Amino acid sequence: MAMRIVVSAAGADDLRRAAEAARGVTGDVRVEAVALSGGGAVLAPRAADVADVAAAVGGLADAVLEYEAGDGPLGGDVWAAALVAAAGQGADGSADAVFLVDSPEAREAAGRAAVTLDAAAASMCDVVGLDADGRLTAERAVYGGVANGKLVIDKRPAVCLLTAAKVEAAGGAPAPVEQRGPVEATTPAVEVVGDEPVEKTVDLAGARIVVSVGRGLAAADDVAVVESLRAALGAELGCSRPIAEDFKWLPKERLVGLTGTSVTADLYVAVGISGQVQHLTGIKGARIVAAINNDPRAPIVRNADYVVQGDLYKVVPALVAALGGDV
Amino acid sequence: MRIIVCAKHVADSTEVRYDEEKREIELRGLPTKISDYERNALEAAVVLKEAADDVEIDVLMVGGEPQLKTLKEAVAMGADTGYLVEGGWEDPFDPVRTARVLARAVEELEPADLIMCGLVSEDGYNGLTPAALAELLELPLVAPAVQLSPADDSLEAVLDLGDVLRTVRAPLPCVVAVDSSMNVPRLPTVLQVMKVKSDRIVKLGLSDLGLSAAALQESVAGVGLSETASGAVQRKGTVIEGTPEECAAALLAGLRDEGVL
Repeated sequence: MAMRIVVSAAGADDLRRAAEAARGVTGDVRVEAVALSGGGAVLAPRAADVADVAAAVGGLADAVLEYEAGDGPLGGDVWAAALVAAAGQGADGSADAVFLVDSPEAREAAGRAAVTLDAAAASMCDVVGLDADGRLTAERAVYGGVANGKLVIDKRPAVCLLTAAKVEAAGGAPAPVEQRGPVEATTPAVEVVGDEPVEKTVDLAGARIVVSVGRGLAAADDVAVVESLRAALGAELGCSRPIAEDFKWLPKERLVGLTGTSVTADLYVAVGISGQVQHLTGIKGARIVAAINNDPRAPIVRNADYVVQGDLYKVVPALVAALGGDV
Repeated sequence: MRIIVCAKHVADSTEVRYDEEKREIELRGLPTKISDYERNALEAAVVLKEAADDVEIDVLMVGGEPQLKTLKEAVAMGADTGYLVEGGWEDPFDPVRTARVLARAVEELEPADLIMCGLVSEDGYNGLTPAALAELLELPLVAPAVQLSPADDSLEAVLDLGDVLRTVRAPLPCVVAVDSSMNVPRLPTVLQVMKVKSDRIVKLGLSDLGLSAAALQESVAGVGLSETASGAVQRKGTVIEGTPEECAAALLAGLRDEGVL
């Protein structure tokens, strides 16, 4: 009997990522994408028409299940209700798995749905597959990226929260839409008072060169030192967790690592960054890592292709000068 | 106002290593502590307590004897009482099971207005426990919170949703997951930890919560770590030394050879 996997996500790219991951589990799989309408917006993708959802997943999904969420704000609680309904209502009985792509709302939906469906739950899944006994497996980073682990999920359904990943545009005709009626949250609503858009000025994930700064920096004003290297290399500026969260010298959108952005740059330059595992996890996708650090025992030294052992306040200006930039 | 902070005892993540020969994660003998992210939740609770007259904070931790020291550290940050659920082991890869134990304990303790968690834990990074806890307790979830302003019967909070800072209002009680950017947690001194008297630590058995280890195993077992491999990426490790100018020239030459400049 074919597996049935319910997929959902808050944007077109993430929705395709979830549908593609579901297709990759096994050849014989029925993929159903959940969309929520109402509340002035459609989740997955947000603020789009359900037809856009169907087009976004294209041939990756066998059907789009449209649930009406009413007029209230669309939060993880309502989303969970739709996932529970979708996972429970299939021609072949309940679903084998529910795939979501990580986001704050998806975490709420996944955690709530896992409880209601009495499901197993797994986070940070990179790849989901089947083992020889037909059990679902999920590959993920464990202990902040110290190791890569394989989870065996000996229970159905399984709610899997996937890591984001780039996927190609889906081909094929839009998936057929099935109307599934209203859903509502079962817990008291969280009222939205107002939204303040966060201006996005940074594309760390897509940058070709990233220059990042860490605790080796002595003062907030010294960000300018590293900024000059960033400019000379035509790079994007990133940072480690203390800089963004403890000292708040740079905004959180510049944070590279497990709780920030993972980079895919050709070149990553770590300036004064010790290289805790959570940071190293975020730079695994970088082709070449160069580090400037005065501590030969810092973990970054063992995790870089080129290590300049020296004082960043001397080495960085020398680099800028050699690149012909303004020190 | 009564606040329960769910805090986790973890091995210090900066000390965790992968043993290539044994092909396992080396956790034995490592220093242990309160998970960083729950420290942020506890700090947020203590800040609320400092700002009002009638705030009581309980810390809830799951585990056994090794967790006692960590629980005392948590209480020393500014909580009133620490509750330890003995025998309700935590599995970093089964957040739903953890949430089931926490939910039963929260129900067993005196009614709370806020149940606060870290956004993730330092070992599992699952980020699912707060939501599963909210569902089990049939409560709203406020996450990821970067600002909290409680009123009489509601909580106003600012959530960092990445592309938007959203102000929300939730009725009390509710579950809050605190974003680590909200604060810089205080570190209790050794003396403060020593001063936490044993009457401020209450041990609860699984049976006190109407749970049994066997039933827990049966009801939610389902996710386990089967095999591991090193998470490290093999890098060249070419060390460059010399004057700053020599270093700069050597590094740029190397990067040009790689074709990344």
